[in-house]
Amino acid sequence: MRFQNTLRIALMAIRRNKIRSALTMLGVIIGVASVIAMIALGSGARASIDEQIQSQGTNVIFVSAGSFGRPGGGAVRGGAGSVTTLTLEDARAISEVRGVTRISPMVRGRAQVIARDQNWNTSVEGGNEDYLSIRNWSLASGDNFTGRDVLVADKVCVLGDTVARNVFPDQDPVGQIIRVKNLPFRVLGVLAPKGQGQFGQDQDDLIIAPYTTIQKKLLGITHIQQVYVSAANSDDVERVAVEITRLMRQRHRINNPEEDDFTVRTVEEMAATRVQMANTMTGLLMSVASVSLLVGGIGIMNIMLVSVTERTREIGLRMAVGARMRDILRQFLAEAVCLSVVGGIAGIALGVLVSQGMTWRLGWPTMITSSSILIAFAFAGAVGIFFGYYPARKAANLDPIDALRYE
Amino acid sequence: MSSQPSPRAEPLIRIVGLRKSYPLGDVTVHALRGVDMEMAAGTFATVVGASGSGKSTFMNILGLLDRPSGGQYFLEGEDVSGFDRDRRAVLRNRKIGFVFQNFNLLPRTSALENVELPLLYDGKPTSAQERHQKARGLLEAVGLGERAHHTPNQLSGGQQQRVAIARALVNDPEILLADEPTGNLDSRTSVEIMEILQRLNRDNGITIILITHEHDISEYGHRVITFRDGRVVSDEAVAARRDAAAELASLPALEEEAV
Repeated sequence: MRFQNTLRIALMAIRRNKIRSALTMLGVIIGVASVIAMIALGSGARASIDEQIQSQGTNVIFVSAGSFGRPGGGAVRGGAGSVTTLTLEDARAISEVRGVTRISPMVRGRAQVIARDQNWNTSVEGGNEDYLSIRNWSLASGDNFTGRDVLVADKVCVLGDTVARNVFPDQDPVGQIIRVKNLPFRVLGVLAPKGQGQFGQDQDDLIIAPYTTIQKKLLGITHIQQVYVSAANSDDVERVAVEITRLMRQRHRINNPEEDDFTVRTVEEMAATRVQMANTMTGLLMSVASVSLLVGGIGIMNIMLVSVTERTREIGLRMAVGARMRDILRQFLAEAVCLSVVGGIAGIALGVLVSQGMTWRLGWPTMITSSSILIAFAFAGAVGIFFGYYPARKAANLDPIDALRYE
Repeated sequence: MSSQPSPRAEPLIRIVGLRKSYPLGDVTVHALRGVDMEMAAGTFATVVGASGSGKSTFMNILGLLDRPSGGQYFLEGEDVSGFDRDRRAVLRNRKIGFVFQNFNLLPRTSALENVELPLLYDGKPTSAQERHQKARGLLEAVGLGERAHHTPNQLSGGQQQRVAIARALVNDPEILLADEPTGNLDSRTSVEIMEILQRLNRDNGITIILITHEHDISEYGHRVITFRDGRVVSDEAVAARRDAAAELASLPALEEEAV
């Protein structure tokens, strides 16, 4: 029998029992919709983590002074930042590691900043002229400071978006003077907003100035707290991080990793736990959603079995007028697949709506990918074939004489 | 006829030593115990016999719904007794039309679509329009052109049986097998159905084999075949054949059944 005839017959049968068909589909609709929504939630979570990783800069490695308390460490250690062992010479040595493209020494402090009648407490970060490019940070207006500014420890700065908006509410900050702990800094530029960081902090609440200026004029130190390192390509980040660790141990004469007075971390490492958590959550939700799809499939099988019994006479008649076994098999399979595929399409639509609803009402990031739609669609079709096969087989194997006589 | 020198043409149906037995619980039932028969194209035969006489089994084998346990069945000279299910299905579709006692129409499906049903399985690339046209023509031939879009529950028994006859004819079969086609109908409607069958047999040359247990119905055919205990006990021509058309004309006029 030709395919469109099979389809016609299947659709006719579905239409003959509208309410039953709709209820059967509902199982698949709910299953597919929840799969779609759960994938959307998972992809959304991962995408937002990715975005936050990206906001840290590409291929970035952080080398921080001090060790983030590993249990069982022997030496007395302070937290990151309170240690003075990281030096500019270290930074310079790191910049020569193979695969490193750019580095920026970092120092950081908090300060009250004042401009005219506004004041604001913010983080003051010192880096070099490459800091912004390492972090993929562009300027909304004005310019970055130059290598020369760093060399001469000039009192210039760029403002984060939050600082610019709070300290200069109704004027262009570029060219203005901002006082940081009573030192006047000339504003060279304003950064493009980056939004929330990995831990929900406002990444735009800061001032960036040459590290030399911050070291000498604000903090009065000669050591540095951190080195931002940018690796040439993402596949190389791990190796470069290992290389830097080895270099630092050599420079600081450390034999026992337990005694490290520095920490080397990559952005990916920092995000790894969160990615893992998101994946676990997604997997968990997905399996719950899959169970509901499975239940939907069983619903199809159930209804198809009832339908085969109910329509035994019809099957007998179709056989009498010339339907072969495979025609009957295909007819019932087509019916099951139609139910599941139409349910699948409706489920996809519902899933997209639910995902958008979650984003809109609950503020959870969701992302509908075309692959998730394809997967859900294929899954729905597979459910139809899988759960439709047994009833269809049963129908095709009926004996025409018994079927015609069935009461 | 036997004096003619030309070799005898192969009859439409030739049956040689047909047997059918099947297990029923612990015992084996011998439904057919060796049936021989020939039937020329254009015959209108009726098959009578008590229940359990083997007439239904015979019809099932004749209609290619069932397979004999022994013996041979030649349809247009071809031995079809060994055909598997699918080959029999194809042959049923092309050569045999069925009419049943309980009509066997698809519920909630229009008369037109019911008539079209066999066309869906003939493997020919017929367009929907061609199918409609063919089915409509047949519904008109059985006097139901007006009711093409009625569903079975909107039709009387006689009308349903006429839809079933139209369905049986849609693939231009050689043989029409009718299993107690008037069993569920009143006597006047029965005569109407017999009129259609006689007309089809006379005008279109369709071979009709009809099972019945009503003696008067058997008199509409050319030939009455009587079964008993799995054998043909008599096979004789009908002496005074009844003419349904004439009977209808003489019956008091009746309005078409209300729907």
